[in-house]
Amino acid sequence: MIFDVPWNVIVLQIFFGLALGSIYVLLASGLSIIYGLLDVVNFAHGTFAMLGAYAVFLAVSMADSFLVGLLSAIVIVGLIGGVTEYFLLKPLYGKDPLLPLLLTFGLSVAIPDLIKIIFGLIGKPVNYPEALSGATVVGPLILSNYRLFIIFFTLAIMISLWLFLKKSDLGMIIRASTRDSLMVQVLGVNVSRIWTIGFAIGIGLAALAGAISVPMMAATPDMGVDMTMVAFVVTVVGGLGSLGGAIVGGLFIGLVVAMTSFIAGEYATVSMYFCMAVILLIRPRGLFGEIGRE
Amino acid sequence: MEKTNFNQKTTHEKGRADWLRDVDAKPKTRIVWGTILVLAVLPFIISAPLAAEILIWGIFGLGFNLLLGYTGVLSFGHAAYFGLGAYCCGLALRYWHVSLWVALLLGVVASVLLACFIGALAIRRRGVYFAMISLAFGQMLYFLALSPLKHITRGEDGLTHIPVIHLFSFSLNKPLPLYYFVFVIMSGLLYLTFRILHSPFGKLLQAYRENEERARACGFNTTLVKFFSLVLSAFYAGLAGALNTIYLGYVPLTTLFWLTSGTMVMMTILGGKGTFLGPLVGVGVFLFLQNTISLFTPRWELFVGTIFVFIILLFPGGIMGTLREKYAGYQMSKLKKRSTLS
Repeated sequence: MIFDVPWNVIVLQIFFGLALGSIYVLLASGLSIIYGLLDVVNFAHGTFAMLGAYAVFLAVSMADSFLVGLLSAIVIVGLIGGVTEYFLLKPLYGKDPLLPLLLTFGLSVAIPDLIKIIFGLIGKPVNYPEALSGATVVGPLILSNYRLFIIFFTLAIMISLWLFLKKSDLGMIIRASTRDSLMVQVLGVNVSRIWTIGFAIGIGLAALAGAISVPMMAATPDMGVDMTMVAFVVTVVGGLGSLGGAIVGGLFIGLVVAMTSFIAGEYATVSMYFCMAVILLIRPRGLFGEIGRE
Repeated sequence: MEKTNFNQKTTHEKGRADWLRDVDAKPKTRIVWGTILVLAVLPFIISAPLAAEILIWGIFGLGFNLLLGYTGVLSFGHAAYFGLGAYCCGLALRYWHVSLWVALLLGVVASVLLACFIGALAIRRRGVYFAMISLAFGQMLYFLALSPLKHITRGEDGLTHIPVIHLFSFSLNKPLPLYYFVFVIMSGLLYLTFRILHSPFGKLLQAYRENEERARACGFNTTLVKFFSLVLSAFYAGLAGALNTIYLGYVPLTTLFWLTSGTMVMMTILGGKGTFLGPLVGVGVFLFLQNTISLFTPRWELFVGTIFVFIILLFPGGIMGTLREKYAGYQMSKLKKRSTLS
């Protein structure tokens, strides 16, 4: 039945999938950085993304600027992440490895309720920023500007993240600590601070994912869980702790979800988990996972 | 002369301090009987509906603790087994009008089969990876019930119109008759758990938790141990889910929701994972807190979540774990005092 559909409709679906996948890439890369550096599976990842969404809502309603919203999301929520790591996660290192996961789970239960008390139960919609509303016509295709923005914005963020990790001194230390934090400590680096910074960066990326998705779907207190799930599925598909895996896995899952919601809408959410099950069957460590990290 | 004295003293003390050598103190028979006795009078101490809820979740918790507490495997998708048991029991009662026992059996068998499937796919993954995968499978079931299978499961409304079950002319949708029906099952399960923990298999679970490599080096198939632990806990979860359906008379969609798994995790940690009574105490305290807080505010999750965070930070052993530690410390200091005195 899919062959009867004109090709430009299919290309449009792929375009939607790439835009959705870009948000997933931001989410999953944050989770991957945190896991790679701290060995912590951040259960509250989507919750922080939700905070990013509310940061945009606040900035747009107060300062009437989407750009300020994006900036405040990454800075403020990133700082909240850093504080969380410093005060709540640090005491747990070296104990039972499941404790950090459980702690972040506790946060993911408590924080949405706090948001409900402050902002109410009903979702807060944010309009498309004026410069990005409307659509661009490319031949027979009509591409919405905002989705184009998401794709290029994510591209820019991922390139700068890559440059940061590969070229800067701090990035080099972060990569080294991911590999062997004890050795980095022996070389005289304050690894504890690197962990806090890495956690803040990961949370900042999650907040950004939440922030750019707000205009397409309103900021709601319970949006975090779905985002956490997506981040988990993408990292399982791509391989835990691998940045390349997060990118490929994110785009792949985004495309799968967009295509299924076009062919069989009811199965859109289920398809993602189905994909994960299949990948687990044929390649248990994920597409880019390291051996022994499964 | 002095040397013989010393030897005598140590053998004398050894008898008293014997249990300290075990990784975990094994539950004693009198604890099982004591628990059954307390549970027998529970509905007269607290309200009967709350007691019934505690008992059903307690069954769920007993099984979950076998997996998390004794085997050390964290599953974040146990709502899948609980919910599947609940739905299968409910569907069988509603569409096929089967008897109580068949419905319970169907619910349990479905959960066990699901555990076999998920276990076969994911059990080799370790620690956090397994937690994530089990969570994702749980969500898959939730979304399946939510919309593609809506014509069977009634989606968001939950499965309603389940006939009231009668047993010996008592209707089981009333809290008190149901409580004693579940109480009989619970007593059996307490005994079963007790026997499992005393069996070689129970030791193997703990051996896996303490050191997987060493257990494997001793010649045990640790993957199989983990697999059976998962299946066993799914058995408890499915039974609890089926009983929940019979009690409520309908199946809410939230039985499959991730927060149900999360609640179970919180209850077990709160009570003390890896202690025999931990899950029961955790379930009781959690449900009591939830009921009390929701009298004042609908935002009980905020309080429960915050309390949970503090428990993780300050008392990761939970209520029973901390008590056990304190008791062990007390025994230790008593032994030390006696050895210095004599």
